[in-house]
Amino acid sequence: MRLLFRQKRPGLSLVVLVIVGLVLLFPLRSEAYAGPGAGFAVLSSFWTIFVAFLYSFYALVTWPMRYLLRRFRRRKAYGKAQVKRVVIVGFDGMDPALASRFMDEGKLPHLTKLRDSGTFRPLRTTFPAISPVAWSTFLTGVNPGKHNIYDFLGRDLKNYLPYLSSAQISEPKRHLRIGKYSVPLGRPEIKGLRRGTPFWHWLGKAGVFCSVIRVPVTFPPEKFPGVLLSGMCVPDLKGSQGTFCFCTTRASGDKFREGGVRIPVERLGAGFHSYIPGPENPLGTGGDLRAQFKIRTDVRRHQARIEIDSETFTLKVGEYSEWIAVKFKAGMGFTAHGICRFYLKEISPEVEVYVTPVNIDPRRPDLPISHPVTYSIYLAKLFGPYATLGLAEDTWALNEEVLDDQAFLAQCYGNHEDRERMFFDALEKTPRGLCACVFDTTDRVQHMFWRYLDQTHPAVRDLPQAQRPRVIQDLYDRMDNLIGRVMQQIDDQTLLLVISDHGFKSFARCLNLNAWLHQNGYLTLKQGKSESGDWFEDVDWSRTRAYTMGLNGLYLNLKGREWEGIVESGAPAEALKEELRAKLDGLLDPASGAIGITGMFDCDAVFAGPYVDNAPDLIVGYGEGFRASWDSVMGKVTGKIFEDNLKAWSGDHCVDPRLVPGVLFSNRKIAIEKPAIVDVAPTILKLFGLDLPSYFDGKPWSLVPAAPRPPKAAA
Amino acid sequence: MITFSSRSFRLLCGNALLPADPARLVLAISIAVGLLMVIIFRYTSDQKAIGRAKDRLKAHLLAVRLFQDQLPVVMRAYARILRGTGSYLRLAFAPFLIAILPITFLIIQLDRYFGWMPLRAAQTFLVEARVEDRAAANQVELQLPPELASSAPAVHIPGDKQVVWRLVAQRDGQYDIHIAAAGQTVSKQVVVASGLARVSRVRWQGNFWERMLTSGEPALADNSPIQSIAITYLPRVIHFAGMEWNWIVLFFVVSLIAGFIGKSILGIQV
Repeated sequence: MRLLFRQKRPGLSLVVLVIVGLVLLFPLRSEAYAGPGAGFAVLSSFWTIFVAFLYSFYALVTWPMRYLLRRFRRRKAYGKAQVKRVVIVGFDGMDPALASRFMDEGKLPHLTKLRDSGTFRPLRTTFPAISPVAWSTFLTGVNPGKHNIYDFLGRDLKNYLPYLSSAQISEPKRHLRIGKYSVPLGRPEIKGLRRGTPFWHWLGKAGVFCSVIRVPVTFPPEKFPGVLLSGMCVPDLKGSQGTFCFCTTRASGDKFREGGVRIPVERLGAGFHSYIPGPENPLGTGGDLRAQFKIRTDVRRHQARIEIDSETFTLKVGEYSEWIAVKFKAGMGFTAHGICRFYLKEISPEVEVYVTPVNIDPRRPDLPISHPVTYSIYLAKLFGPYATLGLAEDTWALNEEVLDDQAFLAQCYGNHEDRERMFFDALEKTPRGLCACVFDTTDRVQHMFWRYLDQTHPAVRDLPQAQRPRVIQDLYDRMDNLIGRVMQQIDDQTLLLVISDHGFKSFARCLNLNAWLHQNGYLTLKQGKSESGDWFEDVDWSRTRAYTMGLNGLYLNLKGREWEGIVESGAPAEALKEELRAKLDGLLDPASGAIGITGMFDCDAVFAGPYVDNAPDLIVGYGEGFRASWDSVMGKVTGKIFEDNLKAWSGDHCVDPRLVPGVLFSNRKIAIEKPAIVDVAPTILKLFGLDLPSYFDGKPWSLVPAAPRPPKAAA
Repeated sequence: MITFSSRSFRLLCGNALLPADPARLVLAISIAVGLLMVIIFRYTSDQKAIGRAKDRLKAHLLAVRLFQDQLPVVMRAYARILRGTGSYLRLAFAPFLIAILPITFLIIQLDRYFGWMPLRAAQTFLVEARVEDRAAANQVELQLPPELASSAPAVHIPGDKQVVWRLVAQRDGQYDIHIAAAGQTVSKQVVVASGLARVSRVRWQGNFWERMLTSGEPALADNSPIQSIAITYLPRVIHFAGMEWNWIVLFFVVSLIAGFIGKSILGIQV
């Protein structure tokens, strides 16, 4: 019927239009003959206007009071401000050496313009050079000892198991038992573990409006006078940091190392069916909730039709769907709402569908992902649903070869475009104040495609240079293009800062530090074991003095701190640290003779603050080309200390922080030689004329006064 | 067209309606029409575009709230709300046009049943004939069937070119009264019943739109000296929810509610 309607018949339309017009002209009882159709149209559209009118009226009536209140609140704002607006564009992982190289080659015209007429410097990062750590320092203006984030993972001292260092989500405390059900009373409890106050809270209190988009470690969102969309560390609907789902008819007993699950696709009549695993059943009946879907393949057309809930869509092989709403129903009215994208990988001879991690639906978020809650809804209404997961680019799926390079890049740039739209909207909505946005495409793409840049990377050693795609060059070009568009939108009263939290290096060799500790007698396995499973499964803690988990932290098994600690604190602990430092600093890779570790940093020396007790004892600074091995990160002890990294994840920054500074570009000249990421927060507060809190570790930068403009006639 | 729709409607449901309670019937029809409307809307509209337009409208409304302290932003949001409303109405207009035509005919036909009450036995009523000139008014003659009787002499109102008779019916039934003038005789239907029945208030000469909206009978001949014959049926009042309703108002309200509930259940963007 819709097709019929779409085939326009102007003659008929005209007749209908004339008849209806004439009917409506007669004022007898015909006004009601428009019936419900008119009613819907009128109510639906004019309701909006009515609400807008009501709100306008309210705004008008309360304007004087709000104006006075705002004047009072903003008495500190802008008065001493050196700029009208600060725009911060964060490119997670943009590397200063690479940017310099491309600029020297005549590329990146907009960043070159910033370098030439403003500022370009390497930006000192944090110890360790890990995104959640560095961005936490960026937003709080303090070292990790004061904000409590040292890695993606922290360790539970009672059982040596990991937990997410930035936030903790726990079940509602109270439940009501009804038969076999345990009905939760209330919502899950979300606790932010990052400490310190983001600098936009100070700005907001002073009346400076702030729009903050996807800055890492802002989940759970905190209340402040402004708008904020959380970024890195927002979980998926399962509560993980991203679990993809690979639905396949191919039988395989293999499990993915992490980040994904394999789900069977089964034949159902003429088609197939499968499911997406969702969150745990909140009613306590065990197991994960599932969203079933059907697949009907059309081999001749190289496509398949997928049906999930009430939505049906067709995908060609190698194509992504839009964001699809999925519901996980638990019964008794409990439904979790998520969104995901489907990617049709193959339909013959096997059927394979990749499904992204199920993101929290921004239109009806089951967990708060923005402040105010309506901000995520506003963005979704304006631009459509978007990725809300902190680490939305599915690096694990590429690592596990579920996605190929092209599919991964399509996913990355799809998300990136959504974020660009959000950012430019925030830029428009913040004519004065602070607008900050972090783009993490730069980090994900460099992690996964550095292998094509490093001519000797073991993952693509045999691939001729000519066949290596210029992915990272293209990435920097795209980011430069973005900066160009930002520069068009800002005036000379706006300070533009382009920053990154760290740079990048190749990750060609894996170093299993737990294996080294084991082989050198610092970590002991249980009787009869030569290796240990994940998370120290076979470690004998009663005979273990040191261990490592996460990306850069090395811990002593300290008595009174760790549950089964054996190292006495004080002098013995200090001696052990010194011994480990001496042995590990300069550790050589026997295969190449390269230095695997270029620095071992004592946390007592690099961190200061109330949370230093939660820090590792030593920070391991891996040398260029090295990083903690995949196994070591997960607390696994293997036989080999060094081995090649054959994964697509081929670039990294979790090395000696001195090797991977970030970037600082600005449209204004900044009078500082060695800026650090910790300086950003005090600098922004100073630019808006606010007093700096005494606990800040960073030092504010000074803008070089702009040269006076030439008189108009001369110009 | 009107005669065709009248006959079709009478054929389809004329008798079926007769024994039912008017309030319940109006409710049932309103619910059915409300649901039908949203289903028609679903298949004649670009649902995705309407969804997007509505979402954008809501976003601009939220922008007014989120950025309330930024006057230029708020003013831009208001402008976008107005523009968005225009876009929405443009998208809704075509399906609205498609749905309005059958609904208009349906309501006109239903108005014959629910809009007016048939005459009751022993109830007096007026027959008003309008003629084309004053002279003709004096020559008009009324011919009644045996079941109807005149209760008063005819009143001639030359200024209005009108003749009025007061009549009374003895029992229920459907009768034709005849009015002769200038050698021609025309008839008008009179319905006497205690329940729901289809009534036609006026029989018109010409007047297409008047006939379409208020009459249920064929037009009087063009050369007839009589221009219209009207019967003074009383408007029907529907009792529902402790209130007295005009059936169209009740229909409008109930069909809207049914439509809104139906669209939510069926997932239709309106």
